[in-house]
Amino acid sequence: MNRKLFFLFTSFILLTLIATVFNAPVRAAESVTITYWHTYSDPETAQLARLIDMFQKDNPNIKIEPTKYAYDDYKKAILTSIAGGQAPDVMRMDIVWVPQFAKQGALLQLDTAMPDFKKIADAVFPGPLATNYWDGKYWGLPQNTNTQVLLWNQKLFDAAGIKEPPETVAEFVDDACKLTSGTKQYGYALGGTYFWAPAPLFYSMGGKVTDDKVTTSTGYVNGKESVAAFQNMLDLYKKGCISPNLLGGGIGTAQGHATGLYAMIIDGPWMVDIYKTDYPDFKVRFAPIPVGMGTNNSSVVGGENVVVSATTQHQPEALTWVKYLMSEKAQLFMAQVGAIPVLSSLTGSKDLPAYFEVFMNQLKTAQARVAHPSWSAMDDAINAAFTKMLKGEKTAQEALDEAAKTIDGLLAKK
Amino acid sequence: MSQLSVRRQVSAQTNQALGLREQRIQQRNFAPYLFLLPGAVLFVLFILWPMLYSLRISFFQWNIVKPETSVNVGVQNYLDALTDPIFQRSVVNTVIYGLITVPGQIIFGTFVALLLNARFPGRTLFRTLYYLPVITSWVIVTLLFQYLFNGQAGMVNSVLQSLGLIREPIRWLADARLVMIPLTLLGIWKGVGWTAVIVLAGLQAIPESLYEAAAVDGANLRQCFLQITLPLLRPTLVFLLVVLTIGAMNVYISGLLINRSGNLLNEAHFVLTWMDKQTFENFNFGQGAAISYLLTAIVFIVSFVQIRFLQRDVMYS
Repeated sequence: MNRKLFFLFTSFILLTLIATVFNAPVRAAESVTITYWHTYSDPETAQLARLIDMFQKDNPNIKIEPTKYAYDDYKKAILTSIAGGQAPDVMRMDIVWVPQFAKQGALLQLDTAMPDFKKIADAVFPGPLATNYWDGKYWGLPQNTNTQVLLWNQKLFDAAGIKEPPETVAEFVDDACKLTSGTKQYGYALGGTYFWAPAPLFYSMGGKVTDDKVTTSTGYVNGKESVAAFQNMLDLYKKGCISPNLLGGGIGTAQGHATGLYAMIIDGPWMVDIYKTDYPDFKVRFAPIPVGMGTNNSSVVGGENVVVSATTQHQPEALTWVKYLMSEKAQLFMAQVGAIPVLSSLTGSKDLPAYFEVFMNQLKTAQARVAHPSWSAMDDAINAAFTKMLKGEKTAQEALDEAAKTIDGLLAKK
Repeated sequence: MSQLSVRRQVSAQTNQALGLREQRIQQRNFAPYLFLLPGAVLFVLFILWPMLYSLRISFFQWNIVKPETSVNVGVQNYLDALTDPIFQRSVVNTVIYGLITVPGQIIFGTFVALLLNARFPGRTLFRTLYYLPVITSWVIVTLLFQYLFNGQAGMVNSVLQSLGLIREPIRWLADARLVMIPLTLLGIWKGVGWTAVIVLAGLQAIPESLYEAAAVDGANLRQCFLQITLPLLRPTLVFLLVVLTIGAMNVYISGLLINRSGNLLNEAHFVLTWMDKQTFENFNFGQGAAISYLLTAIVFIVSFVQIRFLQRDVMYS
């Protein structure tokens, strides 16, 4: 009885093995496949597919295999793939992650690997390029950039008798309270207390997180201008002119703005597509960030960089794909779905959507956040300071002093 | 006659029918081991080996791209974790979560099981309805609870305000202590059905004859419950206590989604969500592994203590 079972079992194993061997995929000897990971939205992904078709026509021996990830899962997916030795060849990643991954040794140093790196680097906006710089080397190139500008609900402004959006911070403070009425309508709402939310006004009012050489934070994040910037928002909050949603668990800024709950929010160019889908009847209006202190420092740089994996098996082909993404043709093509190009030569181009102008103008003065592997923890420290002052647990100065100490500690750690 | 003695008899009869050599082959039965082999291989590959590898990582400052460059730091990761105020707070939060959800599930689960033990029309429908939360996705129900407890437009605030119990809306998800209320409610709601099913099985093992004898003696409902039902449910309840505690210590997804906004300043972490942040946000792989082993130790000790001091066999003949 058990002899029969033994034979049955063994033949089953053998059959499975044979079936697997004969079904293994056969790779074409000629073409090279480059894996490309991204977090594009749905309309952007469709446009990317067309861009890939164009690229593959010009480069018949290179095949691009894109994979889309949700932003929340993306970092974990990249880490898991690196740990498993299956890192993608090319990735489009958040600019603030680049130093962190570079420190781990996951990225290919581009300024030495790419022969015409300098030519491409000179053609892009300096702010976005700086987000790729860590430890004296360049680890990527900006693929698309963005910044935040003021969104103002024209209907609510008209109802309050305000003709134009605010141009200075003083006007902004005034308008925010004029447009507030109890809990039915707030003049201004932030998305949260993470640094990206207060950053535009913070930079506009002359705030800084560290010195230019990124060596110390004391005297900068808790310096006069930075404290004044946060105090400004704190005062508005205490007067009830800023919605309490920023502390969590409230109505989101996108929804609130379109439904007339928040008269002003500060957000990015992706709002155009979001409103087109979710609130097609809402007319979104953009305006530059109100000027605070000086005219050369307003709003914050966001965007994505394109990086190459240090462990890629197809370096020349990967770099060809990267170079193509940086070309004017590709940049203009992706601009059609809202990805702002990084080539400074394209500013004011007639081939770009009209609403890009306010963003690209803002980019001339937008400030980059600190390019450091521990940025995430620094963000947490400023987040904590902002939250504590909003909850009344600390004054703005005390809270930011604490943040300065934490950030200095992170800068000291190598 | 017990099963074992029947088998011995059959085996002896078969041995007499076959010759001596065939007897020896018959006795050395390989089939069971072959059937166990695939499962054992999977266990070693996907559970045992990663666990041991993770233990190894916990003693290093691990580099994920070039593991060979990782620096051996001995027990430093464990010490760092134990002295880290965020980790300490996460342990406190996890313990509080357990202290509320475990008794909550057991008490409500037992209550529901007692009701579902009776015979009434629609009993199967109710049994299904109470079990449904158990099979829902943690992600979806967490989002649902976040929606219900929204500080500006949530239904919970709306109901409480219309009942006159509160004047201002409560910002549940903006405070690290208040947020435990929706989280523990979610944990209890999700587990009651499963607990009820287990208790129901335990209830049905209690012989009807005991209740009949008690009725003859004139016992009322409360006496029946305290003197018959509870003592005979003891093994079931101890089992639930141990298993639900292990589950509570491992609370993860609901905490992960709640902490995602970053508003709670690392004060509302559970042990596993803090481990997740250390590992995948801060790239501190060694410390993440150390935290997971610290949790293992805590769970092991707690379960051991529970079983040691509570398990007792109760038999009424």
